[in-house]
Amino acid sequence: MTVKVLRRLAILLVSVLVASIVVFLFMAVLPGDPAQVALGVNATPELLAKTRAEFGVDRPLLTQYLDWIGGVLRGDFGRSYVTRETIGPQLLDRLGVTLWLVGAGMLVALVIAIPAGTFAAVRHRKPSGAGVSGLSQIGVAIPAFLAGIILVQIFAVQLRWLPSGGWTPPEQDFGEFARGLVLPALSLGLVQGAVLTRYVRSAVLDTLGQDYLRTARSKGLRPGQALVRHGLRNASVPVVTVLGLQLATLLIGAVVVERVFVLPGLGSMLLDAVSARDLLTVQGIVLVLVVGVLLVNFVVDVLYTVLDPRLRGS
Amino acid sequence: MRSLKIGGFLIGLVVLAALLSFVWTPFDPVKVDAAHRLLGFSGSHWFGTDKFGRDVLSQLMVGARTTLYVGVVAVGIAAVIGTPLGILAGMSPRWLGEFVMRVNDLVLAFPALLLAIMFGAVFGADTLTAMVAIGIATIPSFARIARSGTLQVMSTEFVLAARAGGRSRPTIAARHVLPNIAGLLIVQASVSFAIAVLAEAALSFLGFGTRPPTPSWGRMLQESQELLTVHPRLALVPGIAIAVAVLGFNLLGDGLRDRLDPRLAARV
Amino acid sequence: MKARLHAVAVALLLVVSGCSAGSTASVSAGPDTLSVGFTAEPANFDFTRTDGAAIPQALLYNVYEGLVKLDADGHVVPLLAKSWTISPDRRTYDFQLQSNVRFSNGAPFTAEDVKFSLMRVKTNWTISIKAAMDVVDHVDVVAPDHARVVLSKPSNGWLFSLTSRLGAMFSPTGVADLANKPIGTGPYEVASRRRGDSIVLKANPAYWGRKPAYTTVVLKYIKDPTALNNALLSNGIDVISAITAPDSLPQFQGDDRFTVVQGTSNSEVTLAMNNARPPLNDVRVRQALTYAIDRKALLDTAWAGRGTLIGSMVPPTDPWYEDLSQVYPFDPAKARQLLAGMNLNLRMRIPNLPYAIAAAQVVQSQLADVGVRTTIEPLDFPAVWLKQVFTDHDYDLSIIQHVEARDITTFGKPKYYWGYDSKRVQQLLADADSGTPEQQVAAMKQVARQINADAAADWLFLFPNVIVAKAKVGGFVQNQVSESFDLTGLALR
Repeated sequence: MTVKVLRRLAILLVSVLVASIVVFLFMAVLPGDPAQVALGVNATPELLAKTRAEFGVDRPLLTQYLDWIGGVLRGDFGRSYVTRETIGPQLLDRLGVTLWLVGAGMLVALVIAIPAGTFAAVRHRKPSGAGVSGLSQIGVAIPAFLAGIILVQIFAVQLRWLPSGGWTPPEQDFGEFARGLVLPALSLGLVQGAVLTRYVRSAVLDTLGQDYLRTARSKGLRPGQALVRHGLRNASVPVVTVLGLQLATLLIGAVVVERVFVLPGLGSMLLDAVSARDLLTVQGIVLVLVVGVLLVNFVVDVLYTVLDPRLRGS
Repeated sequence: MRSLKIGGFLIGLVVLAALLSFVWTPFDPVKVDAAHRLLGFSGSHWFGTDKFGRDVLSQLMVGARTTLYVGVVAVGIAAVIGTPLGILAGMSPRWLGEFVMRVNDLVLAFPALLLAIMFGAVFGADTLTAMVAIGIATIPSFARIARSGTLQVMSTEFVLAARAGGRSRPTIAARHVLPNIAGLLIVQASVSFAIAVLAEAALSFLGFGTRPPTPSWGRMLQESQELLTVHPRLALVPGIAIAVAVLGFNLLGDGLRDRLDPRLAARV
Repeated sequence: MKARLHAVAVALLLVVSGCSAGSTASVSAGPDTLSVGFTAEPANFDFTRTDGAAIPQALLYNVYEGLVKLDADGHVVPLLAKSWTISPDRRTYDFQLQSNVRFSNGAPFTAEDVKFSLMRVKTNWTISIKAAMDVVDHVDVVAPDHARVVLSKPSNGWLFSLTSRLGAMFSPTGVADLANKPIGTGPYEVASRRRGDSIVLKANPAYWGRKPAYTTVVLKYIKDPTALNNALLSNGIDVISAITAPDSLPQFQGDDRFTVVQGTSNSEVTLAMNNARPPLNDVRVRQALTYAIDRKALLDTAWAGRGTLIGSMVPPTDPWYEDLSQVYPFDPAKARQLLAGMNLNLRMRIPNLPYAIAAAQVVQSQLADVGVRTTIEPLDFPAVWLKQVFTDHDYDLSIIQHVEARDITTFGKPKYYWGYDSKRVQQLLADADSGTPEQQVAAMKQVARQINADAAADWLFLFPNVIVAKAKVGGFVQNQVSESFDLTGLALR
């Protein structure tokens, strides 16, 4: 099995390398002269040329790429053409915000999906189960930002229970941080929860009919115990896989939710950088996002083989 | 069975609205009418008007076109490129199949929104770039389904016999593989359609989708934001439309999946 | 399995909390703290090298001060200069400076700094408006509190330009890192910044003038107009500096918790027409388009009726303002007549900003009524619009707010993106600058009328200055006449 893991790791590294090349080439094609953007409108041609040299954008592409990727490997994402600040620290900061958002959203989703999905599976022939299943269908159809807009209107603007947006770092004021995270996490989590509910439901349904459950029951376990001890563990396999797949969707949802709730996360940083033609920053962010997804898929792959002994041999 | 019917009905509504819009809409969805702005529900304007005085129902109908358009093109691109890729990967020697799947995973690492934003920055953001980007981002799903379906079919007796009989690969693909995986692909198409609709809505909301003044449900949502407290109807109408379309495609996909796999149907 | 997942979760939490450790802003809310919402965030703190209105909006008059400033009616009033005299030939200005003024880093402010700052514009600044300082020949330090500026020729515009960022006073000890550490003489200094979120200003304890009522001001940057509104409604901020979603104002006006202040600004929302390119190089075509647009209806639909109709590039706060808005009344029949036989298809390349997108849709609809087809192309602002429309002049029509004061002078530059070249206007502008103040007013009126007659552009409306604040906050500058969002007069009512 270690051989499998190592092989997967090698594939991951190659993928990351190829991804970085793709990202770099793409940015090289973006229209808009970084020197022009940085200096504004009436810059003289000499000043523009000098600035271009200063940024290093007049060098051959291969040199620029190697320079950039070498820096990234050392943690240096370069210096933004527009803000003149180093990109790395801000990237990390904003990544933190997005991770908090995505993590909280995932938590909400799981808290909703596991009980709801199980309930819907266990009572799938009864109206209550069908009702939950139906609700989850509707939940999937609502875009995360719509959920966000509605939640803000009700809880922030009308009831004024929670803030309408903004970000407070947890170490500065944990109370405000938590309050500010509730609505965004709900917006992401409710929709994701609906998606996961359906997977949990079908996974639990799958296991409900399995033999080992009947064996467990015949051994004297009550239905609840049998379900929890054997059913859920086996249901967790597809759920873990789906979590990984859903991460990409969650990231997307996060970008839009960040806009609605004015969270200084990676998504809003990306949109700002694209708008401002801040090439180097866009490059860095896209690379981080793509590598993140690749990494998560890798982890999920490995977890999958760990969780399901049946797959270890293949 | 119910899923199929409900899903089909909802989609039917959307398609009907879109088709009808080519021939007739209650008002011109693009013409600005300063005298009639921000009207509520009424007999002449069923869903009222927006801040430009444009009829919301007319915009909804023409917007249905955009929604379907995006879905069809995006899913089309994904199916047309992803399916052959997947079949190829399934029929080829192990290493080639693996390689194609790795490339697949790489494409998967670029989420649809990210690609659309990047494409929009290079080529200018509009419906076309959004569709192509979403399409490209959906290719991996089709390729995966096609491949796993192909692998299954390849091990059946029919195919083994055909190969023993000397049939060529393309023939086998056309005659055995494709018909057998078609069902799976249609289910995937339905699900991907729903995702494409959501993606277009998100992109238009962010400003990377359909250009004004072409009506688009996502952009209607975005325009409604500033008036949310005073005129919530302007957000609810496109929001519900999006939900209906997505729900419809999801239900359709579920229903088709149940149809295809009798074992599941019995349980559900 | 559960233990493993647990460990992973803990590890992730540690990583994430480590990531957030780099935060900077730390604000404690209190009665002396005011939170003001803005939409556009400054790229950095250096307005000598970075274009854009966001930087002086935050820093001018608040952190940096000049010799003079503009009051709410657009008059030049003393600031760091207690008083000044102008020689009869109008080339020499003698400024008497305030005493006991210190920069926020402790350095004293003297006439040496006046000389340093003014001369520095020519040598170190890179933004385009620095050209206004070219008329300065030299600066004499007559005494520590007396600076003398000699111009190479008389210029009415020069003293006015001192009220903008051009007149900001710097200390030689404070220019090492302008992008991150601004050092000025103003009542506030920059305490910290959290990019993408806020800038915190704290009162400068050594300020020479009247202490501001709020010791801490948080400038919060919220791009989305609805989120900005929601922030005020849900008690996240105290003031919205400029409403960008005017249709949402009714919810504030009916609410006792808030007050709405509306005034004028310097921002002309202009439909630019490329005078240098066919078919818009033909004055009849431009006039036709101007007749075809119902500007009142446009203002009502695109900007909820808030704003002022203007007929030329002049706001009501300028001394030479005349209401020319009715010179081209709404007349689609006349437009069609002027355009008879022409089959026009124009590209409207606009910045992707809310007012431009709204106005463009109205313009498109109204032009379609007279047979002119247009395509709307939203471009990223500033990056793409600045390059393709403003620098490369690759456009037929565009819609953009021109926010600088007295920017009517741009019609005297043939190379400006208008593409407008009128020798008469250029002569009038030169006369206005070098003449007496009375001659200036007369000449500028002529300029305004000429560009209106030539339909060099169509001035759709004057952008309103709409501030919404909690009822207890007052002291706002009603008309936005300068580049600054002036915090110095704010106080509890």
